[in-house]
Amino acid sequence: MDEAIARYPSDHRRSAAMPLLHLWQEHFGFVSEEALVWIAEKLCLQPINILELVTFYPMFRDKPAGRTHIRVCRTLSCAMAGGFELMENLFTTLGIQRPPAGDGMHNPIRISADGDYSVEFVECLASCGTAPVCMIGEQLYENVDVNLIAGLLRNQTSNIKHQTSPHLLERRLIFKNIGRPDWTTDIDCYLRDGGYEQLKQALTLSRADIVNKVKNSGLRGRGGAGFSCGLKWSFIKPDEKRPVYLICNADESEPGTFKDRYIIHEDPHQLLEGILISCYALNARTAYIYIRGEFPAGAKILGRAIEEARTHNFLGKNILGSGFDAEVYIHRGAGAYICGEETGLIESLEGKRGYPRIKPPYFPAVLGLYMCPTIVNNVETLCHIRHIIAMGGAEYARLGRPNNTGTRILCVSGDVQRPGYFEIEVGAVTMGQLIYEMAGGLRPGRKLKAVIPGGSSAKVLRADERFKLKQKQSDGSTIEREMSIDEIPMDFDSLTAAGSMAGSGGVIVLDDSRDMVWVLNNINKFYAHESCGQCTPCREGSLWMQKITDRMLRGGGVVEDPKALKTIGDNIAGRTICAFGEACAWPTQSFVEKFPEEFAARAKKPVPPPLPPEYTPEELIEKEEIPTVPMAHDPGWEKAGAKGTI
Amino acid sequence: MADQTPFPQLLNVQIDGVWHQFPKGTRVIEACEQAGSYVPRYCYHKKLTSPGNCRMCLIEMGFPRLGPDRKPELGTDGKPIINWIPRPQISCAQDVSEGMAVRTNSPLVKECQRGVMEFLLINHPLDCPICDQAGECRLQEFSVDYGDSKSRFLENKVKKPKNVQIGTRVTLDDERCILCSRCIRFCQEIAHDDVLGFVDRGSYTVLTAHAGKALENNYSLNTVDICPVGALTSTDFRFKMRVWFLKETKSICTSCATGCNTVIGSREDVIYRQTPRENDHVNSCWMCDYGRLNFKYLEAENRLLEPQIRFEGKLVPADWPTAIAQAALQLKQFAGSEIAIIASGRMTSEELWLTSQLVTSLGVQWIDIVPRRGHGDKILLSKDRNPNTNGTRLILGSKSEPGAKLIGIADAVRSGQIKALVILKENAMHLGLPVEQLAQLPGLIVMNTLPNDVTEKATVVLPACGFAEKRGSMINGKGRLQRLNRAVRPPGNARDDWEILHDLLQATGGGDSLSSVDDVFRRISETVPQFVGLTLSKLGDLGVHILAIEELPPMHPSDGEAIEEAIAIQARRRGVRPASA
Ligand SMILES: Cc1cc2nc3c(=O)[nH]c(=O)nc-3n(C[C@H](O)[C@H](O)[C@H](O)COP(=O)(O)O)c2cc1C
Ligand code: SF4
Ligand code: SF4
Ligand code: SF4
Ligand code: FES
Ligand code: FES
Repeated sequence: MDEAIARYPSDHRRSAAMPLLHLWQEHFGFVSEEALVWIAEKLCLQPINILELVTFYPMFRDKPAGRTHIRVCRTLSCAMAGGFELMENLFTTLGIQRPPAGDGMHNPIRISADGDYSVEFVECLASCGTAPVCMIGEQLYENVDVNLIAGLLRNQTSNIKHQTSPHLLERRLIFKNIGRPDWTTDIDCYLRDGGYEQLKQALTLSRADIVNKVKNSGLRGRGGAGFSCGLKWSFIKPDEKRPVYLICNADESEPGTFKDRYIIHEDPHQLLEGILISCYALNARTAYIYIRGEFPAGAKILGRAIEEARTHNFLGKNILGSGFDAEVYIHRGAGAYICGEETGLIESLEGKRGYPRIKPPYFPAVLGLYMCPTIVNNVETLCHIRHIIAMGGAEYARLGRPNNTGTRILCVSGDVQRPGYFEIEVGAVTMGQLIYEMAGGLRPGRKLKAVIPGGSSAKVLRADERFKLKQKQSDGSTIEREMSIDEIPMDFDSLTAAGSMAGSGGVIVLDDSRDMVWVLNNINKFYAHESCGQCTPCREGSLWMQKITDRMLRGGGVVEDPKALKTIGDNIAGRTICAFGEACAWPTQSFVEKFPEEFAARAKKPVPPPLPPEYTPEELIEKEEIPTVPMAHDPGWEKAGAKGTI
Repeated sequence: MADQTPFPQLLNVQIDGVWHQFPKGTRVIEACEQAGSYVPRYCYHKKLTSPGNCRMCLIEMGFPRLGPDRKPELGTDGKPIINWIPRPQISCAQDVSEGMAVRTNSPLVKECQRGVMEFLLINHPLDCPICDQAGECRLQEFSVDYGDSKSRFLENKVKKPKNVQIGTRVTLDDERCILCSRCIRFCQEIAHDDVLGFVDRGSYTVLTAHAGKALENNYSLNTVDICPVGALTSTDFRFKMRVWFLKETKSICTSCATGCNTVIGSREDVIYRQTPRENDHVNSCWMCDYGRLNFKYLEAENRLLEPQIRFEGKLVPADWPTAIAQAALQLKQFAGSEIAIIASGRMTSEELWLTSQLVTSLGVQWIDIVPRRGHGDKILLSKDRNPNTNGTRLILGSKSEPGAKLIGIADAVRSGQIKALVILKENAMHLGLPVEQLAQLPGLIVMNTLPNDVTEKATVVLPACGFAEKRGSMINGKGRLQRLNRAVRPPGNARDDWEILHDLLQATGGGDSLSSVDDVFRRISETVPQFVGLTLSKLGDLGVHILAIEELPPMHPSDGEAIEEAIAIQARRRGVRPASA
């Protein structure tokens, strides 16, 4: 425990709250009242500060689970592949009572009568390419056969599923060693492959040199926003007096995205080398890897890699005699998607609820972790740094397209025959090539209906849409071309021009068997569950949108619903603290706009008359002699007809 | 450097098309308000940090377009051309900057406000008629001003706990809470008692305190004031009175030397609540619970309502002229050296001045006040629980520490030197003498609001006013002269203290006729240099700083302890005397 506290500056002991909660829960199975008080005291906090955390992060529970706890992914790709059937079958096989229909914050944990098993729905486990997935204890199970629950429970071996050799259209840089049968996470294996040579080289360069290389490389962030990495780095003043922090964003939670997990689980030293080079370039003596809580194995692998690197003096004091010191620590999240947003992540790392901060004034590079300058970069982005050092900035920039340089890993999931990861030169592959050639096309007899091209937050593209894209030619001129979805190049600018975004690289493919209201409802549920709840539009709007699509699915859609959905989205996007606002609004806005016929078909009931106000506690009503009005917010109102008399 | 110039740098800011100037460091939301364009807000409170979470204060913002020379390009009107940021921005977390332009009521801004209002109301109980906040609810106000009247929310509302006793004095209704976090920030940043927090997530987020640590701090009721809706209510005030029926009187709290500025809410001579009134020289926007709730005694059953005189060994009601005459008669029997006065640090400056006149006119040598001490905090509550200790210093001209002469007075009473004791708004038990001993005194004149052990034995009882029943001034611990105002009339035949003292003074042959408390103040301003040039009206609502005082006198024990200690001292002396004699 003290070791966990020592990972953070002594005046920021609060940061150790989540590590201590993890330790406690691992040991005792749940976080008791006693734990709250004990941890609060240990960290000089109030019990409320710990209670705030336990109730924010769904991985922490205040009651014991079953001896074997099973987490089933509920999110889109898994749901399309049978996640709900898997849950049903678990209920039946394990004799677990289904939860009562109801409205609540977390998906409840259900425990079998004998206490042997418990099940819980969780959100995307970053393994959408091998859907449906679940976690049994700390172990991930992929491509689960929903009909073979007994086998699943007996089967003790489940490894990350690998794709065979890279596709011809791929250009493997980061994923060069992923899936190789002869590859291990050992440092020796990495060293044999030329590992840490770039760190050695970087340590001989000046910091400004490295930042320039990164600028010249044109590298854009792979976490979602696609912001220029070199520009971000240049916000750190070379003569900065405060400590500078580097944070590796390993929270990978955007539905449809599952690239970072492979790097973490199979090539941890590549990430570590990227982090250490970046630390040196930014003069950051401390780096934190914020890894999502659902990667317990990944956290262990990274922990071991750090220790191995230390024995080789790749980190720690006076790295390789350069005089530069750097420490890398792992900080585990606990099931909150919003902690992928960089300022939410920083708050979480400070031991608080993952509430994103307002920008201005809290730009991480100015007022980041512990109010010090902080750079947050995605796992994949940091891996690229190593290759930029190896190749040189200009050389690296020749990969891909202008302003869309390098390679990137695309994750394809959903209705394709061969879902998985593909590393391509940015923009060198079109959507059509990706879906039909690389991912094996749609299932027999199925047609493409829609694609969500950059994680579930990205606006959906309709298969029969025509897109007008301005394309920069190699001679610098631009031409506008109309194209089909298949022709869209998979790069940042093209997908933005097509009205969506490259986002995190998670491509979710939907075929013509999908009910778009159902798909949107699944996405709505994710965002309603993951909204941190801090700012009004997102907090209230995300759940409202979900409740409308819930009702539409139950058959209670009213004519105004599509319009309501759209305007709720309009009232969220651009008006919130963080980009989660857009992330939850864009799917709704785009689904309703692009599939009006499907939404209209489910929204045929007349709008009921205005509901009378809902009066609350009886005794107050009596006291104030206000006539009690019957509760009218009954979902069954539509049965009563347009008059609304129940 | 600009920072060192004595005058803050002024920045040009365009608000709704008009250019204004504001000092550097002005929040945009404040600048807009000063320019007459009020921007609605929930989470923003000028004394707390800005989390920017309610999104009610969204406005449009722009900056001057810069030409190739990095200088603002000017339009035909000679003013900079503005580049507007396409997204709305919150106005509560940014300071104005040179050339900034904002629009506070453009169609986009109105759309944003409507959107936020709708979101806030969908899960909010729409039962304003029974909500205690009705009348001062920002949600109610803004929904009229900025919202839509028709709800299109057809779903079930999120159910949350209601009627939660989140502390002894504060009740929480989570369904009304709009999660603005003002109360949480107040507890962290002002009360230094981090007890409130949010649990759960998203739309299910709930404000709560940990079961083991409730909202008990001495500032808890300020959360009720700053809660923009009816989520936090005062358990004491809840449902007692509709706020729109309350008469509001600006006054000050008299429960300690800080003198927090207040508003007394009353109706038909009954006080329902006290709330803090902003005064950055004194109490910012806050007051402590102890002071806030310390008004109930004014309505106590045993309030002294009638003048009384001792007749044939018993206290009997009398009319005012009789009581005053009786008191004067008793005093005039004795020489000044045979009279002692125990005054109070709770008296107003005007009352103290009249007391000082009485002292002069009767030639009284023994006079002191009762010190009243408690623990202080570093927030507002002062160790000195007398609101006007500085007034007693200045006006009674006492050189010694408050209370230093009480032992001497007690000794003089016991030795029989003192024949008449005048007790003004105090409990003479502070002398530490047995009440029987005081009962022996030929003159025991008591002026007070409530009875105590000594009142029973008095020869004359003069029922007086409480702090909310009178007008006058006091000097707080930091030397600020502030005004009390009458919120309610005194009950029964109780009279304003200054009138009683004035009549007594005249009846004993001193002083001249004064017709109002303002006249008394004028007299003070003629004699006390610090008061020169002032009148009660000139003090205004925020008072005037008249003394340069930093430190408070040393620590003394509390009221109860003080009485016990005084009794112990007297007991020791009684024990010691015979032995040494
Ligand atoms: C709601 C939300 C969730 C995010 N989740 C992740 C995530 O899981 N992983 C990630 O690397 N970036 C995520 N981001 C993006 C980060 O905020 C940040 O832009 C990124 O980590 C920066 O790294 P990059 O510049 O290397 O991409 C998320 C952003 C938002 C708004
Ligand atoms: S937009 Fe949503 S997730 Fe982001 S701060 Fe606001 S409530 Fe939280
Ligand atoms: S109780 Fe009131 S002050 Fe506190 S968060 Fe809720 S609305 Fe804001
Ligand atoms: S701090 Fe003193 S003056 Fe202020 S409210 Fe409390 S008791 Fe009254
Ligand atoms: S792992 Fe299930 S949807 Fe991503
Ligand atoms: S007042 Fe600005 S966001 Fe709440």
